[in-house]
Amino acid sequence: MQLISHSGLATWLDHLAQETTLIAPRNVDGVLLYRPVQSSGDIVWDFVRPVLSVKEAFFPATERVLTIEKTGQQIRLNETVPDGERVIFGVRSCDARGFLAMDALFANTEPVDVYYTTRRENTALIGLSCNEMGETCFCTSTGGAPDDPTGMDLMLTEVDDGYAIQVITEKGAALLPEITLQELAGEIPQPVLNDPVPFPPMEAWPPQFNDAYWADMAERCLSCRICAYVCPTCRCFDVRDEPLPAENGSQHFERIRCWDSCAGEVYRQIAGGHNPRAAKGDRMRNRFFCKFYYYPEQYGPVACTGCGRCVDACPVNIDITEVMHAVQRLAEVEP
Amino acid sequence: MSYTTEIQATARDLLSSDQVSCVIGYEVGPRGRTRPAFIYTADDADRLVWNQNCTHNLTTYLHQKLRPNGYTSAPAETERVAIVVKACDSRAINVLVAESQINREQVHVIGVACDGVFEGAGLGRSDGATLQHRCTECGERTPVTYDTLIGEPQAVDTLDSEHDLAHLEAMTPAERAEFWLSQFDRCIRCYACRQACPMCSCPTCLYERDDSQWIGMGNGLNEKRTFHLGRAYHLAGRCIGCDECERVCPVDIPIGLLNRKLAGEVEAAFGYRAGLEPIPSPLTTILSGKEG
Repeated sequence: MQLISHSGLATWLDHLAQETTLIAPRNVDGVLLYRPVQSSGDIVWDFVRPVLSVKEAFFPATERVLTIEKTGQQIRLNETVPDGERVIFGVRSCDARGFLAMDALFANTEPVDVYYTTRRENTALIGLSCNEMGETCFCTSTGGAPDDPTGMDLMLTEVDDGYAIQVITEKGAALLPEITLQELAGEIPQPVLNDPVPFPPMEAWPPQFNDAYWADMAERCLSCRICAYVCPTCRCFDVRDEPLPAENGSQHFERIRCWDSCAGEVYRQIAGGHNPRAAKGDRMRNRFFCKFYYYPEQYGPVACTGCGRCVDACPVNIDITEVMHAVQRLAEVEP
Repeated sequence: MSYTTEIQATARDLLSSDQVSCVIGYEVGPRGRTRPAFIYTADDADRLVWNQNCTHNLTTYLHQKLRPNGYTSAPAETERVAIVVKACDSRAINVLVAESQINREQVHVIGVACDGVFEGAGLGRSDGATLQHRCTECGERTPVTYDTLIGEPQAVDTLDSEHDLAHLEAMTPAERAEFWLSQFDRCIRCYACRQACPMCSCPTCLYERDDSQWIGMGNGLNEKRTFHLGRAYHLAGRCIGCDECERVCPVDIPIGLLNRKLAGEVEAAFGYRAGLEPIPSPLTTILSGKEG
């Protein structure tokens, strides 16, 4: 395996920032977010994880999917597929693992989502291993690890004299700097791990569907949408056509899609006003059943990577690891 | 007796004598974070705690307790709940009563003479020493309304009278606009600010994105600006300054600044501060002609 020095890495990232769009963890008024950077000096190095996952670079909070031009009785639709190559640096293993879940729906199930898959194809991911897990991290309990290279194109791990570089894909190899890299002497250090949390198997979930637990645990839920929006795997969206300014005698509209969340009260409301998930307990139950039962059943991957963002951001301490403990306990009592 | 013991004893008494069906207070979760708790039996009362991480304004839960069928229906008149409040939270009770959102008789207010709450409380980021900004400006440690008072009424001076609005007010309008737009730009429209707010009690929010005719669904700067400025106007003269909106914001938008600015304007114009008494804001009532 090869080694890149701290200064060599900075030079390489500066080069990437010149050549392409480089996205990396950046401090935006005190908030750490994945944002385009102009040079390596803009990058924050010492962090657990940015507030929002790297998901937003592939499945943005809002995106235009097409424009509509109406002239008289003629309607023209123009697809607006994203373009432009990008490199994202400082991707955490939990976020890259999120692509297992996201790809299952957007890329591996028909109809393939051209917006998501185009961004995936046009973007290279340079991972950065965690030396230790954050306080709320539990990636090792959902199949990942702080140094898991799954989904990355290159994987960097901090060592004494710089960073060890693991080449994962050809796309990653093509990014490597043109300077000669040293060979790494010795082993890559192992990350410090947290104690695992219980991971209830799929069959543990359905028997707990009607348990009073859900209404109890959800009583303090504010029905905001933080948990879904910070999550690297939540991918629900809503679509609407909205007007644009008229031009040259034609009416213009855009079709946009935006993040949505099952925690919000109106998410499940249907025509006529009925809401099958009007109760908070039903909504929270859906959130956790989706992650550990519905999604794996329908698409394969578990929709939780153990990143811990929802645990950190929930204003009222609804804690997914506590839910996993509870379901495990309920399943043991009444399997 | 510690505040925790006193709160537990009060809750036990209220529940065992059937004076209330539920006590809304605070507990400490398995991760050591203080969070809202709903206590229904006297046996569960020992879950209740008091500490300086009790930051949440629990009055936001009164809607779901006392209006279980929403605001278009009459309040559930037989329901009576108890709630633990700090001085700031107690002002929300007065506003909710003044706006006919709740009946005061249906709430047993357990007021706590509070020493202030810590920065990062409830989110596992408290250093156990730094008080929240609002607490450094707060000279009213005793709740304005209560049925049971925990702790001794105390008069304290504000620890920090320096107003953080000064640097905003020193800006030119263009600089201020740029400041706010750069802050709003981070918004992800998660609505945590609105959801945490006891005053955001509209059955259908003007700014809801799912079925809104007034504001687009997108996450563009226009939509975000409209939401935040609109919400601030709707809270002018109603915001009681608990700053929960700012605490819950996942991207740290300083929403409290906006609310404090408008509260100051209302106070300057009308001599009115929200929640000190159960009377509605002059901005939500018809001007009598005497205000000029």
